[in-house]
Amino acid sequence: MVGEAVILSAILFAIGTVGALVRRNVIVVLMSIELMLNAVNLALVAFSRQWADPAGQMLVLMVIVVAAAEVAVGLGIVIALFRNRESLNVEDASLLKW
Amino acid sequence: MIPVPTLHIVAILPVLLLAVGAFAVLLAELFLSSRGTGKSGAGSVFVGVSGATLLVVVVIAAQGFISAGAPAFNPDHPMLHLDRFSYFAIGLVAGAALLSCLLANGYLQELRIHHGEFYALLLLSTAGMVLLVSAVDFLSVFLGIELMSIPLYVLAGFDRGKPRSNESALKYFIAGSFATALLLYGMALVYGATGATHFAAIAARLDPDDSMAMAGVALILVGFAFKVSSVPFHQWTPDVYEGAPTAVTAFMSVTVKVAAFVALLRILAQAFGSAEALGTVLALLAALSMLIGNLMAIIQDNVKRMLAWSAIAQAGYLLVPLSTGTPEGQAAVLFYLAVYVFGNLGAFAVMIALTHRGQEADRFEDFDGLAKFRPGLAAAMVLFMVSLAGIPGTAGFMGKLQIFFAAIRADQLPLAILMALTSVVSVYYYLRLPIAMYMRPAREHPHRKELDFLEFTVLATCAIFVLVLGLLPNTLDWLPVIDWTHQSAAALASK
Repeated sequence: MVGEAVILSAILFAIGTVGALVRRNVIVVLMSIELMLNAVNLALVAFSRQWADPAGQMLVLMVIVVAAAEVAVGLGIVIALFRNRESLNVEDASLLKW
Repeated sequence: MIPVPTLHIVAILPVLLLAVGAFAVLLAELFLSSRGTGKSGAGSVFVGVSGATLLVVVVIAAQGFISAGAPAFNPDHPMLHLDRFSYFAIGLVAGAALLSCLLANGYLQELRIHHGEFYALLLLSTAGMVLLVSAVDFLSVFLGIELMSIPLYVLAGFDRGKPRSNESALKYFIAGSFATALLLYGMALVYGATGATHFAAIAARLDPDDSMAMAGVALILVGFAFKVSSVPFHQWTPDVYEGAPTAVTAFMSVTVKVAAFVALLRILAQAFGSAEALGTVLALLAALSMLIGNLMAIIQDNVKRMLAWSAIAQAGYLLVPLSTGTPEGQAAVLFYLAVYVFGNLGAFAVMIALTHRGQEADRFEDFDGLAKFRPGLAAAMVLFMVSLAGIPGTAGFMGKLQIFFAAIRADQLPLAILMALTSVVSVYYYLRLPIAMYMRPAREHPHRKELDFLEFTVLATCAIFVLVLGLLPNTLDWLPVIDWTHQSAAALASK
C-alpha cells in the first residue's frame, strides 16, 4: 500500500516537474508547481504511515498552509505583470536578458 | 493528564520581535496614511520601528553569543537550536537587514514607492532567515525557507508599475517555488528512508548505500544550490538582481546567501555527515560557479547584472571551504560571509546613493567621471570593488586567504588554485568601475541629490568593516571576528 502511494507520488512529481519546465503559460506553470507540492504531501503521508510517526503529517499540514500563501503571492505577481503586459506567456517576459 | 513541557521563550524571542515589528509597521502605515500625514514623516516612523526592532535582534544575538547559546523552546522536541553558530548568523543577518532598511528610506522616496509594506516584508523575511539559521528539523528548515522567500518574491516586484520589476518577481517566484518543491521532495525521501525529520535522528539512521536516501539528499542539495545561486542552478540570478529595485537587490543578495549557506553548513554537519560523496559534488559545484560566474561577469554592461554574476562567483568561493567539511572550512565560510555582507552591501549602497528622480545608476556609463563630482562616493566604491576582487589590505583578501588555507589543509589543492586563478580574472571586471570613475571624461551629469544621513551611516559602516576585517581581523580586543567564527564552528561540531 505504502509502496504504491510512493510510486504514484513519484509519477505526479515527475509530471509536475516536466510541466513546470516546458509549459509556457504562467498559470499552467503555477499549477505544475502545486502538483509537485501535492506529490510531496502524498509521499509524506505514505511514509508517515509506514513509520507510524506523526511528524510527516505535521509537515504535510505546514506544506498545505505555505503552498496556499505561496500561490496567493504568485497570482498577485501574475496580475501585476498582466496589467503591464497583457500576456500570460512566460516567453513574453523577456526584458531582462544576458 | 498531559504533562506541560517547560518552554523557553528566549529561544524564539528574535522571531517574535521581528513579527511584532512587522505588524507594528503595517499598523503605522494604516494610521499614518489615513490621516494624510506627509510621506517623509511616515517614512521616519517606518525606518525607526523596523530599525529599532532589527537593532534589538542584533543585541540579543550578541548577548546570546556571549552566553554561548540558549536552551531550545521546547527541549523535548527541539525544532530550533540556538548555539553560538546560530547567534553569529542571526547577528549577521539582522545587521545586514538593518543596513538595508536604512538604505531603503531615501531610495524608495526617489522612486515614489515609499510604502510601509516594504519594511514589514523586510522584517518578515528576516524572521524567516532567523528561523532558517537555527533550524535543526526539516519542518523548521522548510518553514524558515518559505518565510524568507515569500516576502522576497513580493519585494522583488515592489516597484509594481515597472514591467522589469514585475518580470523579476515572476522569475524569482517560479525559480524559487520550483526549488522549494525539489527541496521538499528530497526531505520526503529522506524521511521515508530514515523515519525522522530531526537532524540528529537522521544522522543516526542515514545509510549512504540506500539509493532512496541519497536521492533525497541530492534533491535537498539542489534546492539549496538554487537558493545560493550556484551554477548550474543560477539562471534566475542575473534577471532577478537586475529587475528588482536596488534596495531589494542589496538586501537579498547578502542576507539570503548568509541564511542559506549557514543552513546548508548545519545540515551537512549535523544530518548528512555520513554521506561522504557530498564533498565531491560540492567541490564540482564550487568549480563550475567560480568559472562560469567570473567569466560571464566580464561581458556585462549593467552594474547590477555584473554584481549578480559576481554573486554567483562568490557562491563558488563559499562552496570551496563548505566542501571540505572541516571545522576550519566552516569557520572560513562564516568569515567570508561576513566579508561578503559588508563589501556587497557597500557597493549597492553607492548605487542607491546615486539614484535620483526614479533614475537608477546601474549602467557603467552612469559612473563615468564620477570621481570629479562625488569624490567620497567614488572612493567608497573603489574600496568595495577592491574588497570584492580580494586585493590585499581589504576584507575580501583576508576572507579568501582563510578559504585558501582551509582548502589546502583539507587536500583540496586544485580547488584552491582554481580560486586564485579565477580571482585574478575577477579583478578585470571589478576594476571597470574604478576606471570609469577616475579615468573616463565626465558626461553631462544630471543634478544628483546630496547624500542623506542614513545613507552616509551605511556607507561608513560598510567601509569601516571592510577595512577592519581586512587589516585587523583578529587584533582588536572587542572585534575578534576570526575567533568568533572558530567558536561558532566549534559549536556546530558539539551540537
